[in-house]
Amino acid sequence: MTLNLKSMALAGVGALAVLLASGAAQAQSTTLTLLIDNGPQTVPVFEAYVAAFEAANPDINIEIETRPGGGEGDNIVKTRLATGAMADIFTYNSGSLFQAINPQQNLLPLTNEAWQANVQDSFKSVVTSAGDVYGAPYASAMGGGILYNIPLYKELGLTPPKTWDEFMANNEKIKAAGKVAVIQTYADTWTSQLFVLADFYNVMAAVPDFAEKYTAGEAKYASTPAALQGFERLQQVHDAGYLNEDFGAANYNDGIRMVATGEGAHYPMLTFAVGAIEEISPGNTANVGFFAQPGNSADANGLTTWMPDAVYIPKTVSNEEAAKKFVAFVASPEACEVRNATVNPTGPYLVKGCELPAEVPPAVSDMLPYFADGGNNGPALEFLSPIKGPALEQITVEVGSGIRSAADGAALYDEDVRKQAQQLGLAGW
Amino acid sequence: MKRRASIIGGVAAIAGSFVVFVIPFIFIILMAFKDKPQSALRDFSWPQGFHLWDNLVQVVTTRNWMMITAFINSALITVISVTLLVVLAAMVGFVLARRKTRMNGLIEFLILAGLMIPPAVVPTIWLMQGLKLFGTLHGMILIEVAYNLPFSIILYRAFVATIPRDLDEAAIIDGARPLDVFFRIILPMLWPVTVTNIVVQSVGIFNDFTNPLYYLPGNQNATVQLTLYNFQSQYNTSYNLLFTNILLITVPPLIVFLFFNRQIVAGMTAGAVKG
Repeated sequence: MTLNLKSMALAGVGALAVLLASGAAQAQSTTLTLLIDNGPQTVPVFEAYVAAFEAANPDINIEIETRPGGGEGDNIVKTRLATGAMADIFTYNSGSLFQAINPQQNLLPLTNEAWQANVQDSFKSVVTSAGDVYGAPYASAMGGGILYNIPLYKELGLTPPKTWDEFMANNEKIKAAGKVAVIQTYADTWTSQLFVLADFYNVMAAVPDFAEKYTAGEAKYASTPAALQGFERLQQVHDAGYLNEDFGAANYNDGIRMVATGEGAHYPMLTFAVGAIEEISPGNTANVGFFAQPGNSADANGLTTWMPDAVYIPKTVSNEEAAKKFVAFVASPEACEVRNATVNPTGPYLVKGCELPAEVPPAVSDMLPYFADGGNNGPALEFLSPIKGPALEQITVEVGSGIRSAADGAALYDEDVRKQAQQLGLAGW
Repeated sequence: MKRRASIIGGVAAIAGSFVVFVIPFIFIILMAFKDKPQSALRDFSWPQGFHLWDNLVQVVTTRNWMMITAFINSALITVISVTLLVVLAAMVGFVLARRKTRMNGLIEFLILAGLMIPPAVVPTIWLMQGLKLFGTLHGMILIEVAYNLPFSIILYRAFVATIPRDLDEAAIIDGARPLDVFFRIILPMLWPVTVTNIVVQSVGIFNDFTNPLYYLPGNQNATVQLTLYNFQSQYNTSYNLLFTNILLITVPPLIVFLFFNRQIVAGMTAGAVKG
């Protein structure tokens, strides 16, 4: 018994000494906390960022903490901001979701940082609130459109369509060949929105002031024929019987696998999915191409683009200077090189001086002409207007499974959007 | 005839529980053996190749051995809060059942209110920040105790009512002080309902997901259920690692229950016979 007591006391003293030693070591350096979402494209990239940053700044120590994405992630970010328990740096969406976390009250403005000169204006506009810029991009821009299986296209002698009619003609041939023409994966409801959201370039081509009028409550999805078309297209592919049989039960992983292996020809998706192909279906990244969602005329063919998430600093930051240093690193060309070395690129960068590697997957190189001179691209509606209804994905699942008609779905979505506009206190609703 | 019917009934019950309990567990084990591309199919198939060890190593070492921290935290939270729950709820139940006062109605209403009114997250965090308890393990333990206390009290109160009052009186006449009456006479008599409490509450607290998610931020505070989010995200999920993780965190409670099975069943049936 005495022996036991003695050894326990020894162990206790030892543990205390270790604690004291680690305390002393930490006292000399600054420790920052970093809250990121748990996406497979986010965690490894930030681990690499932090390693590179800590190597260059030995006096700063960064601890990564992850959170879920989606609705649960929104709740966590809002709760922690509201209670002042936010990490020193965090990642979150840009655009309409960024507006919903009350940036002026919660976030530190980064307008006057030196690195802002290198960030493209198109990105700054989606992390700006009341004239101040709050975020820095850590990923590349994305396009919303249709991923297609290249070997299947070659086998059937098809070419990527420029108009919706060509797209439907291609679908008919694919169906005749006994393959799935359009893959839909409604088990992950968010994937159902793509036909509607990625059609927005075509909406803007037909009605250039749609976004402003929409925010002001003057233009509606149901009463604007060009905007209604997105819902109609979603209904058309279902009614024509082009979908995979299990569209209601399949999930995002299944969709990627099907388009990568040629089980299906088209999968409407954002280009960030390119990074996931290698994980889900190894060796098939080179078999997947990409084209923008086709519109009514070949001359007005263009890409709807999505801005990446950003890193932000909350007002409750423990060490402002160190946090700003890390954000400056994330928005630098060195960080892009770290990213290129860590994950497959999924689109063009938004920071001046950032280069894509020489070898990019075909789906990404297919996307680059839209960004080059003479190419057409425009941001998705959620980056032009603070309004995005929370129930869109449920409504598009209904329309896409033939439960509700396109016109009905659009009208229901206009109703859904009204609630959010009123919450934001916009005029005209 | 009667015998045959009971055999058929027994077989049906075994088959039913096999479908409900064993098949999902087999699915988890099979998934834990697969590699990522095969597990992404999510079908009930035989694994191609043996990947369990790779998956285990990856699950345990992910995010700087987070799993180990999580197991220590979850074990601490579960054991301490269940102990507190049992002692506190038994005390409250005892006093409520034995002492009739004018306040009883109000107290019972408050207990019911604690059971019915869902707690709000932001005000609770605000309160905990004021008490300097936010983001600490003991703060989390107090939350679990507070949220689960009403249910335990109701269980105990009903059971104390079945213990004859003569027993307390006999003990008091023999010279027992109030605490002796409770700890040496009443608490041992409450063993059946204590077992029920331990089983129900420890399963609930060990598996609690949302409370640690909001009240216990930080890597060093992770609990086992939160480690699931290392492999499951909005866009992409590593099903092989996710199911390996599920297997890992399902096994310890299972072992505990296998080990204590006899005591648990004995405790429950003892209560049943007494009526």
